[in-house]
Amino acid sequence: MSVYITSTGAFLPGPPISVSEVEGILGMVNGQPSSLRVQIQQANKIQTRHYAIDEHQKTTHSNTEMAAHAAEQCLDRAYLDRQEVGMLAVASTQGDLPAPGMASMVQAELGLPAIEILTTHGICSSSMMALKAAWNSLRLGDHQAAVVVSSELSSRLLKRQRYEAATESTFAAKRIDFNTEFLRWMLSDGAGALLLQDKPSPKGFSLRIDWVRGFSHAHALPTCMSVGSAGRPEDERTWQDYDTYAEAEKAGALLLRQEVRLLDNIIRMGVDGYLRLVEEGTSTPSKIDHFLCHYSSHHFRSKILEMLDAAGVGIPEEKWWTNLYTRGNTGAASLFIMLDEFLRTDEVSVKEGDCILCFVPESGRFNTTYMQLTVVKQ
Amino acid sequence: MNDGEILIEGGSAALNEMPESNVPVMNPHAQVCLQHLLRVWLGFERDLSTVPLLRRLDLGTYTVDDHQRLLRNLRQQVIEGSRWITRTASSFDRNHAEIRSTVIAHAVDEHRDYELLEKDYVASGGRLEDILSMERNVGSEALHGFLMYRASRNNPVDLLGAMWIIEGLGEKMARSWAERIQELTGLGEDSTRFMTYHGHNDGDHMQRFYETLDDVCVNEETVQAIVKTAKVVARLYRLQLEELTHDVE
Repeated sequence: MSVYITSTGAFLPGPPISVSEVEGILGMVNGQPSSLRVQIQQANKIQTRHYAIDEHQKTTHSNTEMAAHAAEQCLDRAYLDRQEVGMLAVASTQGDLPAPGMASMVQAELGLPAIEILTTHGICSSSMMALKAAWNSLRLGDHQAAVVVSSELSSRLLKRQRYEAATESTFAAKRIDFNTEFLRWMLSDGAGALLLQDKPSPKGFSLRIDWVRGFSHAHALPTCMSVGSAGRPEDERTWQDYDTYAEAEKAGALLLRQEVRLLDNIIRMGVDGYLRLVEEGTSTPSKIDHFLCHYSSHHFRSKILEMLDAAGVGIPEEKWWTNLYTRGNTGAASLFIMLDEFLRTDEVSVKEGDCILCFVPESGRFNTTYMQLTVVKQ
Repeated sequence: MNDGEILIEGGSAALNEMPESNVPVMNPHAQVCLQHLLRVWLGFERDLSTVPLLRRLDLGTYTVDDHQRLLRNLRQQVIEGSRWITRTASSFDRNHAEIRSTVIAHAVDEHRDYELLEKDYVASGGRLEDILSMERNVGSEALHGFLMYRASRNNPVDLLGAMWIIEGLGEKMARSWAERIQELTGLGEDSTRFMTYHGHNDGDHMQRFYETLDDVCVNEETVQAIVKTAKVVARLYRLQLEELTHDVE
């Protein structure tokens, strides 16, 4: 049975924040401007982004609220009654509550009665996990419609108070701690939602899901992006192993970290995964009309291009489309926010039969996920 | 830009649209071969992260002792490397003069690289006699045995697969090991000269590699042979690095 994305929605909190305003929102750590901000922002080339915290670092929207806003917009645009939605799948790096699962909270906010729920936990690729599970549920005939939402509120991890409290961390010990600061100038907040149905929308374009695939390399590669450890190789404790959460925070175990040195692996594994799909005949580069790639930073775009070309499976640059530069890197929410705008933007002409390749790599412990969509009209 | 059409569908479109790049326009067989080789390489590179000593490079616990152990074990491979390359050159007949020239040039470039490695060992605090008396480890034996066997066959074009892995590793050492080793151990540049020098040189080698691949990889059997040899060498090279752990004096 074929399954279609029949509606999309997105929510970006607050006004667009420019490059120079970012530190005003996240705050200067101990009153000192960051010495790495400009360098990192120049590399990622993100011009504007959104935050669900204000300039006093007070939360303006919860993660649940953002997810619900995106889902509301998605459902408002759909040609179906809400009662027909049988499943809600929600992805996020970190919900508002560690427990229960975020889907419970989003369901409550949306007021969808007695539906099946799923929460996927991960980083960027958790959105694809949620989407794949919902797609399979519809394929099996369990439901006729499912809402998949992905939402991120990473600014709460990135505000100055987090770093100021980490008085005994690698961040406090070093003059420059690139690994701890890197993501501070990369990530921002937002939510995206997709409606999946077992038939295309009666009006406008729908996107048929042709396949969704993922390849995880955690068996071989070390952790690259994480929260929960102090980032010292000799210390194997994770945040709940400390006597108190205050001690974990002091040690820097609650800071978001990226092992920048290991990041190239995500490009390599991303290309490896794509070569697998080409080799097995799942994807044909020459047939792709649009390539929506969640690259976290402009810096990685050229590296991906280079490797795809070297392998002879390059996708011409004019087929690439992203809104990273204006909407920011919203982690798991990125692809859905991208799809939502892609279908509405005047920058690209989308026509029936077009083939869309989506790629969401996750550097957490190197999971690469791919999806192919075909534009259809009823 | 090449959109991969020729690779997937076996046609000939899109060839003239290739941009200027380090990778020359290659015949369809060579392109398919390169795709497979890239996957072999990416798998090899990923799996190197599971080798205990190299994992310590990633985790930040690599020590001077680790570095000396690595150099002690690499030396034999480097010495034997020049031997299988020269043997390979002599196994090509007159119909393969072009590739023979390339292989000979390559051998000239590298056949005394091990001397640099010995100097690095001493600079990192090791005793010269220790590295000179080091025997091939179990993995080096297997790797050397395989390479000499393949190199002794007539026109061993499949050894391009071996070069792909070994050259790639040279570049990787220069790109991501040398500086990291200095950062973690406090050793100076003079302890990683073999790695940096070798990587620098390998840029030209890759260019020649692509040209050679285009010349010799003109049918499906050759693709298979090159890829198979690359896989074997990748596995045996990793074995050699895994066996470092058993080098206990």
